[in-house]
Amino acid sequence: MNTNNMVAMILAGGRGSRLFDLTKREAKPAVHFGGKYRIIDFPLSNCANSNISTVGVLLQYESILLSSYVANSSTWGLDMKGGGVYALSPREKDESNLSVYKGTADAITQNMDFLDNAEAEYVLVLSGDHIYKMNYERMLEEHIANKADATIAVMEVPKKEASRFGIMNCDEKDRIIEFEEKPANPKSNLASMGIYIFTYKTLKKFLREDEKANSSHDFGKDIIPAYLNAGLKLMAYRFKGYWKDVGTIDSLWEANMDLLDDDNKLNLFDPEWKIYTGDNLASPQLIGSKAKIDHAYITQGCTVNGEVRHSVLFTDSSIGEGARVVDSVIMNGAKIGKNARLYRCLVADNVRVPDGMTLGKKDSKEILLVTRKLVSEGE
Amino acid sequence: MPKAIGIINIEPSYVKVEGIEDFRPISASSVLGRYRVIDFILSNFTNSNIYNIDVQVKNRPRSTIAHVHRTDYNINTKKGNIRILYGEKPVLNEVYNTDVASLISNLEYFMETSTPYVILAPSHFIYIQDFRKLIDYHAKSNNDITVLYQNVTKADEDFLMCDTLELSKTKRVMKMAKNYGAHKHAKVSLETYIMSREMFVELLEAAKAISSLYSLSDIVKESLKTVKVGAYCHTGYAACISTLSAYYKASMDIKREKELHKMINDDWPIYTVTNDSCPTLYEPGSKITNSIVGNGCIIEGTVSNCVIGRNVVIKKGAVIKDSVIMPDAFINKGVKMEKCVVDRLAIVTHIKELKGTVEQPLYISRGDRI
Repeated sequence: MNTNNMVAMILAGGRGSRLFDLTKREAKPAVHFGGKYRIIDFPLSNCANSNISTVGVLLQYESILLSSYVANSSTWGLDMKGGGVYALSPREKDESNLSVYKGTADAITQNMDFLDNAEAEYVLVLSGDHIYKMNYERMLEEHIANKADATIAVMEVPKKEASRFGIMNCDEKDRIIEFEEKPANPKSNLASMGIYIFTYKTLKKFLREDEKANSSHDFGKDIIPAYLNAGLKLMAYRFKGYWKDVGTIDSLWEANMDLLDDDNKLNLFDPEWKIYTGDNLASPQLIGSKAKIDHAYITQGCTVNGEVRHSVLFTDSSIGEGARVVDSVIMNGAKIGKNARLYRCLVADNVRVPDGMTLGKKDSKEILLVTRKLVSEGE
Repeated sequence: MPKAIGIINIEPSYVKVEGIEDFRPISASSVLGRYRVIDFILSNFTNSNIYNIDVQVKNRPRSTIAHVHRTDYNINTKKGNIRILYGEKPVLNEVYNTDVASLISNLEYFMETSTPYVILAPSHFIYIQDFRKLIDYHAKSNNDITVLYQNVTKADEDFLMCDTLELSKTKRVMKMAKNYGAHKHAKVSLETYIMSREMFVELLEAAKAISSLYSLSDIVKESLKTVKVGAYCHTGYAACISTLSAYYKASMDIKREKELHKMINDDWPIYTVTNDSCPTLYEPGSKITNSIVGNGCIIEGTVSNCVIGRNVVIKKGAVIKDSVIMPDAFINKGVKMEKCVVDRLAIVTHIKELKGTVEQPLYISRGDRI
C-alpha cells in the first residue's frame, strides 16, 4: 500500500458539554451516530481511505472507552506494520510533570516526541467530532504543490451563519491573508473546518515558541495568527460536500435525519469510501408482522414491532408493538415500550421508555433528549 | 486448556442443494442475511472454548477459504487456529472422495495438539450446542463414541437421508439406519461425534481396512457391535441443509423472532465476517413486515415474510413474498416474486410473476440476469 509521510493527529479530548447526558460518561467522539457508527469513525476512516498509516488520537475527557476503541487499529485497516492508531493521553515524562492538555496546540506540543519517532514530514490536525468524508491525501498534494507552510480546509457557509465560525479571508489564489474567529461582521463566508496540514519542521518551531508564551495554546487563536504575523504561506483548501459539527442535540439529530435523504452528500452507501466501525455481533434486523416502517434508517440488531416514521434506529434498539416513533433518533440498545409515542426525540443509549409513555411534540422547536432520568421522572 | 479439537467435516453425498451448490459447498452459502451456514458450527466451537478447529473442504473451496479466518471467530490469536484442510491425495473418482479419505490424509495435523478428545461436526447442519456439555457427558459416560442426536417430530418431511438412531434404555446406540421418511418421529443423528484421539485414529484405520468408499457414519454404524457408541440429546432448533427446500425452510424457521433471539444472543454470539455495510434505508412508500434484513439494503418496494441479505436493492413496486434474497441481489421495479431463493449478485428485472413452492422454491442463480 502506498502511504505518505503525513501523520494524523485527531483531537478527541473534548467533552462536548452541549450534548448533556450523552457525554456524561463518554467523550463526544465516542458518541454513536448514524445507526452503527461512533463519531470518531469518520476521521479515522477518512485517514485510512487517504492512505495515512499512523494516527495519534489525543484523549483527555473520559478516555477509557475511547482509548481501547481506537487502539484496535484493525477496525479501520490502520494496522499495517510501521503504522497504527495510538491513543495519546497526557503523560508524565522525564523532563516534565504530568500535565493536562492546556489547548489544542498544547496537545500536539506534548506529543512532539511521538511525531519525531514517526518521522513525520507533515502533520494533519483533525477534530474527532465532525461528520464528513474527505480525501486528506488530495489536500496534502495541494499543500505540497503550493509549497505552503500550512493548509487549512475551508467551506462556504451561508453569510448569515458565518459569524459562528472561524472565517478565512483569502486573496484570489486562495492564500489566507487574514483569520477572524467568530467575527461580528464577516468579510467572507469561507469557514475553517478545523482541518489543518502543517509542514512539521515549521510547526515544531512555532509550537516551541507557543509553549513558552502566555497563550491559550490553541490552533485557531494562537498558532494560525502567529503564522500569519510571521508572513508564512497559509493556503485555503476548498471542500465541497457534507460536513457537520454535531455539537448540540439539535445538530446531532439533524445529521442523523440527513441520512434519510437518499441523495444526501454523505452517501454512506459508497463502496469506494466506506466508513468503518467496530464490528458488533448483533443479528440482522428483525421486522415483525405488525411493523409499519415508512422512511427509516435501521441497522443490525434492531427489532421493530411498532410504527417507525422518518426515524433512525441504532444498533440493538427495539420498538414495541403499537408504539409510534416519528422524526426521532433511537440510540444503541434503547427500548421503546408498547404503545409509547415519540415525536422529535433523541433517545439516549440503553434508555427504556415504558409502555404507553408519550414523549416530545410533533411541532416542537427543539429536539427532546430522552434520558433515563427524564423517563423515570415521567413515570 | 481446551479438552478437544474441533473438526468440521465435508458434506456427505446425500447433500444436494439445487443451484446454490453449483457455486460453493452449502457450508459457505449465505444464510439469514449476514451469516454463512458454517458460522453456526464454528461459533459452537469457539463459544465452547474450543479454539483449534480444522475445516475440511472438498470441491469448490473458494468461498470457504475466502470466508473463514481465525480473526473473525474470537479465537485466541496465539493458542488457537482455524485451518482449512483439503484432501491432499488426488482421487481418481468422486466416490473415493469421502470424508474418511480426507481425514486420513490430514491425520498428522489432528495429532499435533495434545487435547484428549476430538469433536467432529458436520458443515451442513445449523444448530446451537454448548460442546462443553457434550464433553462432560462423554467424559462421565464410558462411551467410546458419543453421538449428538435430535428428537425429530417431522422426520417424514425433514432430515431425509440422515442417520436415525435406535437407542437402548441406557442411551446406547443399538442400530443406525437411513431416514427414508417412513416415520414421523425419529431420533436423528446430527452427525456430530465426540471420541478420544486414540478412538478417532482407530476408527479411521478400521474404515480404510474395510472399504475405500466408507464414510465416517458408515464406520460408526459398522462399529456398533465392537465399540460402545452412546448418544446425547440436543434440544433446541436443528436443521440439516441437504436440499434447496431444506435451506428455504430453515431460513424461514430461524427468522421468527423467538427462534432468532434464542439462537443468536449476547450469551451465544454467532461470529461472522463483517462487510462494513452501512445501515439499511427504508424509503418512503416501502412496506415491510415479518422479515429479517441485513445491512446496506435500499428498500422501496413491498416485502413480506422474507430473508433479505446484505446490500440488496428492492425497487419501487416490486412485491416480494415468502422469499430468500441473498446478498448483493438487485430486484427491479414491478417484479413480483413468491417463494423464491435468489442467489448472490442476481439481477431480476422480469415483470412476469416468479413463483415457487415450499417443496420447490424457485431458484435464481448467482449473478443471473433475468
